[in-house]
Amino acid sequence: MKPTPVRSSVLNAASARPNRIPIAPPQGYWRLAWRSRHGDQSVLLERRAVTVNVGLLGAFLLASVLYLSLGSVNVAPMAVLHALFGKADVMANFVVQELRLPRLAAAACTGAAFALAGILMQTLARNRLATPGIIGIDNGATAFAVASIVGIGVSIAPPAMALAGATTAAVLTFGLAAGSGTQGYRFIVAGIGVGAVFGAVTQLLLARVAIDTANAAYPWTVGSLNARPSGALQLLILGLVLGLITALMLARSLTLLRFKDATASGLGINVKRRRLEVLLLSVALTGLAVAVAGPVGMVGLIGPEIARSLSSSRGVPITAAALAGALVMVLADLAGRTLLAPIEIPVGIVTAVVGGPWLLWILMRPQRSFT
Amino acid sequence: MSQPSNSALPSLSTQSLGMSYGARQVINGLDIALPSGKVTAIVGPNGCGKSTLLAGLARLHKPDSGTVLLDGADIQRLPTRQLATQLALLPQEAVAPEGLTVTELIRFGRQPHQGWLRQWSLEDQRVVQHALAAAGLEQLADRSIDALSGGQRQRAWIAMTIAQQTPLLLLDEPTSALDLGHQIEVFELVKHLAHHGRTVVMVLHDLASACRYADHLIAMREGQIVAEGPPATVVTQDLVRTLYQVECTLLTDPDTGSPLLANVRRSSVSG
Repeated sequence: MKPTPVRSSVLNAASARPNRIPIAPPQGYWRLAWRSRHGDQSVLLERRAVTVNVGLLGAFLLASVLYLSLGSVNVAPMAVLHALFGKADVMANFVVQELRLPRLAAAACTGAAFALAGILMQTLARNRLATPGIIGIDNGATAFAVASIVGIGVSIAPPAMALAGATTAAVLTFGLAAGSGTQGYRFIVAGIGVGAVFGAVTQLLLARVAIDTANAAYPWTVGSLNARPSGALQLLILGLVLGLITALMLARSLTLLRFKDATASGLGINVKRRRLEVLLLSVALTGLAVAVAGPVGMVGLIGPEIARSLSSSRGVPITAAALAGALVMVLADLAGRTLLAPIEIPVGIVTAVVGGPWLLWILMRPQRSFT
Repeated sequence: MSQPSNSALPSLSTQSLGMSYGARQVINGLDIALPSGKVTAIVGPNGCGKSTLLAGLARLHKPDSGTVLLDGADIQRLPTRQLATQLALLPQEAVAPEGLTVTELIRFGRQPHQGWLRQWSLEDQRVVQHALAAAGLEQLADRSIDALSGGQRQRAWIAMTIAQQTPLLLLDEPTSALDLGHQIEVFELVKHLAHHGRTVVMVLHDLASACRYADHLIAMREGQIVAEGPPATVVTQDLVRTLYQVECTLLTDPDTGSPLLANVRRSSVSG
């Protein structure tokens, strides 16, 4: 081709004076660049992702103030802010700090963990139905944790049991889908079957114990923030922080896992290894979250769906999904606490009542068009 | 963009390569060397093992025996990312996540050259621009991949592999779903890339296009190599019969000198 020498001479001139050439970030991105001893470094921030994350964070903070303010005793929003620093009256301090704040933390962290686990599993399977809740991992974690709560000769802490249950369910699902991998319906159907079996095991465990014990465990088996085993929240917070960091480190690989394996592999992604890492992360987050709130799997579907509908299709909206999950869980538990007060609706039931129609809407609505 | 000279191109070859698909041994004891800076076409009937061979060359599947050598080193031992700076692959019927634009797709080609703290350099910008221009896609840069014609879409995918800046490019049936005009678009781009110092290997099911656009032909049947060399010397009536069980008349293209298949018909072995 004749034009090539001309083009390359222009380019050589450019590389001789790199500072003269302005680097235009790709359309829709901000580029942060700096020079370090490792040479020129740069990070791209997608503008829309920044807007979406800031917006979701704002909505989450607003919802949190509402959450702390409303209930059997209403505390005015300004008093809530004062109470957070112990500067309100004794009653408000107690209600906000001792009663509502720990539960808010539990709601936010479980919501974020379920949604993060959801978007990881969906990306892994390239199927938006493939969330841990649907492929039986929630139910596996619940069955194991219930076994430890109702005390059938097992006295391991619920988080450890939930993790073991989540892992067992994942191994079973993958084993039963053997050969067909994580893509396709065989995997989903196997997961639904595994989930049904573990759901039955949970009921069986509850049927065998004294009615009072079963009653105490019941809200938790449908998903509730009212019966948090001690220590489970601290473990979840730790797991969530590590999980978010790991997910962000995997973000570039996750973006490429949306392509076919051959394409991702051709672009330098170790597909098998990344898959395993993403799967382990998703299973661990699910187990830790179930240990706190029981199976609220619907959040794993709704959170990522909100995040994706707000975000562009360029990447996998990891932090947006986590924020959306936290927001949904906080609002759902707020509704559960206040709507029929003094009766409390377990958060798992609220998310199911809202999430069911939501799921139908996703299936029925016309495909959105991209431009 | 620097255009590597032929002598600097890495060599790709296999040594008694054996591969299976499931329980079935597809190829066995294959020794090939791919000529650097040339277009090689791998042809043969359905199920002859040509796509399996390409998958082996690209390290998508692990061989059961033998090795694939890149510059004399076993590719199984190379880190995935390092391999991706040497060898680009366009799989059959590649699918992009919906809503991606042409430029966004091409940017993914820079992946092996980037890192967490090296997400967009002057070099990236320059190479993506070059890939857009080389594939003739400047006018379509911001168009969604879903909205392109088959030929434009395939050129966008090839542009992604151009942005990967690898000396080796492997294509699996790059024109199988395209009409004639779009096929020519893709083949001319491939030819252009080889002229600019890339080694191209493509699996083709169409022997006629292989004759026209390949410098080197590898003809396979039942996992074995039947013939290897420049199309003008290796394509014979016997070869066409061996590969596809058809008779034909061979002519020479008056413009390019490449073999032309005419009057292709079924072999009447038993009358």
